[in-house]
Amino acid sequence: MVVDDLFKFTSFMVHEEPSIRVNQSTCAGCDHKACTFVCPARCYQWNEERRRIDFAYEQCLECGTCLLICDRGALDWNYPVGGFGVRFRLT
Amino acid sequence: MKEFDVIVVGAGPAGASAALRMAQRGLDVLLLERGETPGAKNMFGGMMPFFPVAEELIPDFWMKAPWERHVVKRILYVSAKTSSTSMVFEADAFDCPPYNGFTLFRPVFDRWLAEETTKAGATLLCSCLVKDLIWKGKEVSGVKVGRDNGNVRAKVVVACDGVLSFLAQKAGLRKDFIPSQMALGVKALFRLTEEMINERFNLVRTQGATCEFLGCTDGIRGGGFIYTQTETLSVGIVLHLDALKKSGKAPYLLFEEFIGLPPVRRYLKDARLVEYSAHLLPEGGYRMVPKLFTDGMLVAGDAAALCYTNGLNQEGMNLAIASGFMAAETVIDAFTRGDFSSKQLSQYEARLKESFVLKDMKTFKEAVSWMHTERLFSEYPQLINRIMEEIYRSDGKPRRKIGKIGWDAVKGTISKRDLIADLLKGGKSLLW
Repeated sequence: MVVDDLFKFTSFMVHEEPSIRVNQSTCAGCDHKACTFVCPARCYQWNEERRRIDFAYEQCLECGTCLLICDRGALDWNYPVGGFGVRFRLT
Repeated sequence: MKEFDVIVVGAGPAGASAALRMAQRGLDVLLLERGETPGAKNMFGGMMPFFPVAEELIPDFWMKAPWERHVVKRILYVSAKTSSTSMVFEADAFDCPPYNGFTLFRPVFDRWLAEETTKAGATLLCSCLVKDLIWKGKEVSGVKVGRDNGNVRAKVVVACDGVLSFLAQKAGLRKDFIPSQMALGVKALFRLTEEMINERFNLVRTQGATCEFLGCTDGIRGGGFIYTQTETLSVGIVLHLDALKKSGKAPYLLFEEFIGLPPVRRYLKDARLVEYSAHLLPEGGYRMVPKLFTDGMLVAGDAAALCYTNGLNQEGMNLAIASGFMAAETVIDAFTRGDFSSKQLSQYEARLKESFVLKDMKTFKEAVSWMHTERLFSEYPQLINRIMEEIYRSDGKPRRKIGKIGWDAVKGTISKRDLIADLLKGGKSLLW
């Protein structure tokens, strides 16, 4: 199995407003950027060219790992609007 | 503004159980769920152990609840890179009702339990995210719901809003989390046929098996699991957040390594991936349990960190349902007396302390530091497998007794001091 396949098998109802906001100026000074590898949904990617975190909230599994791992307070972390976000079917 | 007797936040096992009990006793209960349906936000890779309180909630609970398989077989794997040692426990007694443990799907189970609450007269509203608490002085008197900007008032709020419980935080009941108290679980569901699962795990009828793996997480504190449902396997790993961060590794890559281990790979042959999920688990044990009540509010389930592992037992759902039930009993008493003060609601903690919920958490409170012993996840699994390999290896060299093999294996890897410290820690957490 290829890891990329994993992410194709989760259902979402995406809201137009991101539920999590990333404070880019804080992230630029972060030396570990742990969010880019601990997030189980690969929501965070460091964009070297633009010197910023590319954040894709659409595939967020709402687990809260990033919130606990970020020690810079760079995240304004909220659950999606009621009824939106991840929709586990059988898990 | 609409007013209820009680608002329960979160329609998981804790919340639905609390709502059900209170509705059965005639209280006007509002059960709020942020998911589109109950269970849509929950992950479970697991087994719900049998416990009698469930039958006080719903007669014949274990007959009616939509479970998948009853667990008769527990397999423990200690893995090294190229070998693994396993221990299988199976008991005839676990194959007779009342069954000892069950595998299930949370979106199915949670929906069933939530429907029972509406049958008992509770009001269930899904797609409702609670944003904040409403206060009257220093007393909680309701919640602010995201949808329609609605404020709802009640005499008591029961917060069952899950592992991240923002309500317990807003009420000042819990401290900020620290990563070492939390574990990340990532899981994938794989479909096979019922016959294939029965054959691979040597099961018949609705019998089920669970597998737990130690030493399969690349030295990161954590473990792996496989649970059998009727036609699917729940396969995943659990990782302590601080250890994961330190490792610099991605959880899905560790998961991929895990499913590549020979025993896991064999179980999964020709299986089709159905769903991927991730969730946090409270793993701080007894010391992580927050203050459980304040004026006008109680906390239950994962929101109260009522969840533990000692390496052999992994429990949460049973503690959630039992704590929801006891929160409900406390609120029912509070209504009889017309007193919703923190003093009256403190009965809740007393009930939990008398029951298996806080007793078990207390019994295994030392297990937390045992489960944070790094060597348990790398050196020891390798050691065990090295010893087993020499015991069974035939290569023409004279055989040695186990003590000698063991001592030689220990000598190169673990200092005498660490070994004694670990044995004491392990002993304190599991043996005495």
